[in-house]
Amino acid sequence: MASIELTNIVRDFPEAQGRGRWRAIDDVSFKVETGEIVGILGPSGCGKSTLLNIVAGLDEGYGGRCLIDGVPVSEAFEKGFRVAYVFQQSRLLPWKTVRQNIEFVLKAAGRRQSTWQERIDAILRMVELSDFADFFPAQLSGGMQQRASIARAFAIEPDILLLDEPFSALDELTARRLRQSLLEIWREFRTTILFVSHNAMESTFLGDRVMIMGQGPGGRIREKISLAHLSRPRTYDDVGLFDASREVITAMQQYVDDLK
Amino acid sequence: MAIETANSSSSSPEAGSLEGTGKKPGYRDHGSYAPLITVASVLTLLALWQLGAILLPPNVFAGPLSVSLALIEEMQTVELWQDMGKTLQRIALAFLLAMTLSLFFGFSMAMSRTAGLFFRVWVVLGLTLPSLVIILTIYMTVGLNETAAVLGAALPIVPILAINIREGVSSIDLGLRDMAVAFRASRAQIIRDVIAPQIAPVLLASSRFGVGLVWKMVLFVELLGRSDGIGYKIEFYYQLFNMRLVLAYALSFLFVMLLIEIAIFGVLERKAFRWRRVRG
Repeated sequence: MASIELTNIVRDFPEAQGRGRWRAIDDVSFKVETGEIVGILGPSGCGKSTLLNIVAGLDEGYGGRCLIDGVPVSEAFEKGFRVAYVFQQSRLLPWKTVRQNIEFVLKAAGRRQSTWQERIDAILRMVELSDFADFFPAQLSGGMQQRASIARAFAIEPDILLLDEPFSALDELTARRLRQSLLEIWREFRTTILFVSHNAMESTFLGDRVMIMGQGPGGRIREKISLAHLSRPRTYDDVGLFDASREVITAMQQYVDDLK
Repeated sequence: MAIETANSSSSSPEAGSLEGTGKKPGYRDHGSYAPLITVASVLTLLALWQLGAILLPPNVFAGPLSVSLALIEEMQTVELWQDMGKTLQRIALAFLLAMTLSLFFGFSMAMSRTAGLFFRVWVVLGLTLPSLVIILTIYMTVGLNETAAVLGAALPIVPILAINIREGVSSIDLGLRDMAVAFRASRAQIIRDVIAPQIAPVLLASSRFGVGLVWKMVLFVELLGRSDGIGYKIEFYYQLFNMRLVLAYALSFLFVMLLIEIAIFGVLERKAFRWRRVRG
């Protein structure tokens, strides 16, 4: 487990046409404590996925500082910190079975091969996919594929888990079950989680804190809302949760043009 | 269907839900009588061939039975096997050459914008230039020999194959590569487990396509400037107005190509791409 600290992050991209540059992220600073779940909420194009890519070490062209447990991202990976990513689409390798997909990341994370079987069996039990270990992704429903993708992420026992709108491609019922599964597994591992979403209810249900980004380009964090007062485990029919999500929506409306 | 098995043995709550069963309502499953359709298709072709033979004089268009008998007769001779061996050898060499060049052009055009722009003119030119002109030019410059025959069969198909490979390589799913990078997979792991499996179907499809094209080209170069091989024999019997043997030689090679398709490409496809057929 590890903390994440971003200080004065700026990210410019070259324009598709011409020689100019445009600013995707403008001076973003925040900290995610070890074991905390923090959500970044904002409209499409506000730069929230870019922030995740920076933490994941996929994007190195930024200005400012990104530290994992006090160590710059690029060095953190060399020191053995592990980051796992759950994407909007499951991004399972279609030519590998669920088990082989998990083996792929266990190998990448340098986990000892003698422990693979045990880890895979345990994590698949948690996401209720034990019977589907030897199935190919195409044989599974969208929800099951995303379960497998969550299993893949937790299998390496990451220090940090990044989620990029992981449930937005699913129907609401399936998404609800998966959010609950995610939190159940989180209770086991207490992994530090940073997720991005454009769904206020989802962010409130998952997060200890929610940060709201304004409309891009030049996305900034406009407001930080603490949800620490909501006890866990949370339920969807909790009045407190409903009130908190209303507060989040109200805050969003101030900064997102489309919602005004 | 696989997904139904999945649902029936499921302990997962959403396994039986509405989403993603992958089966389209109203879509008829032809799986059980697919072989019958194939047989019916072959029989229809034979019937049409026979009908043509009845309508036309036998020296212009021989029927399937007469051609088959001629083929069986030719199979008793050494000549047919020698010509077939020669043609197969040319196909193999031309195919190897064409694939090597196409892989180079296809990959560089897909992976580098500069190479893409640079070779675009060559490819367009290659596509529009008639094969006949390319083959004749090669025969004139290189001479009427084996090298020219192989070059003449290989070069006209390079632009077509290169475009195919470029399209295939360009359509690689970068999301999967990003996933692998995010999980810190090694370069070797990414190439072996993420990139290669995506390129393999492209290579198989291009090879299949390439062999088919090369065989037609080899026949052409043999007809134009060689004194052996199936193409030469076809031309030879055409000069003698013996259409029965023209068709018999064509038929002999048709069987060889079918064998290559079933024994090599079919087996490769089944072995390497089991995951693509699991949807059922």
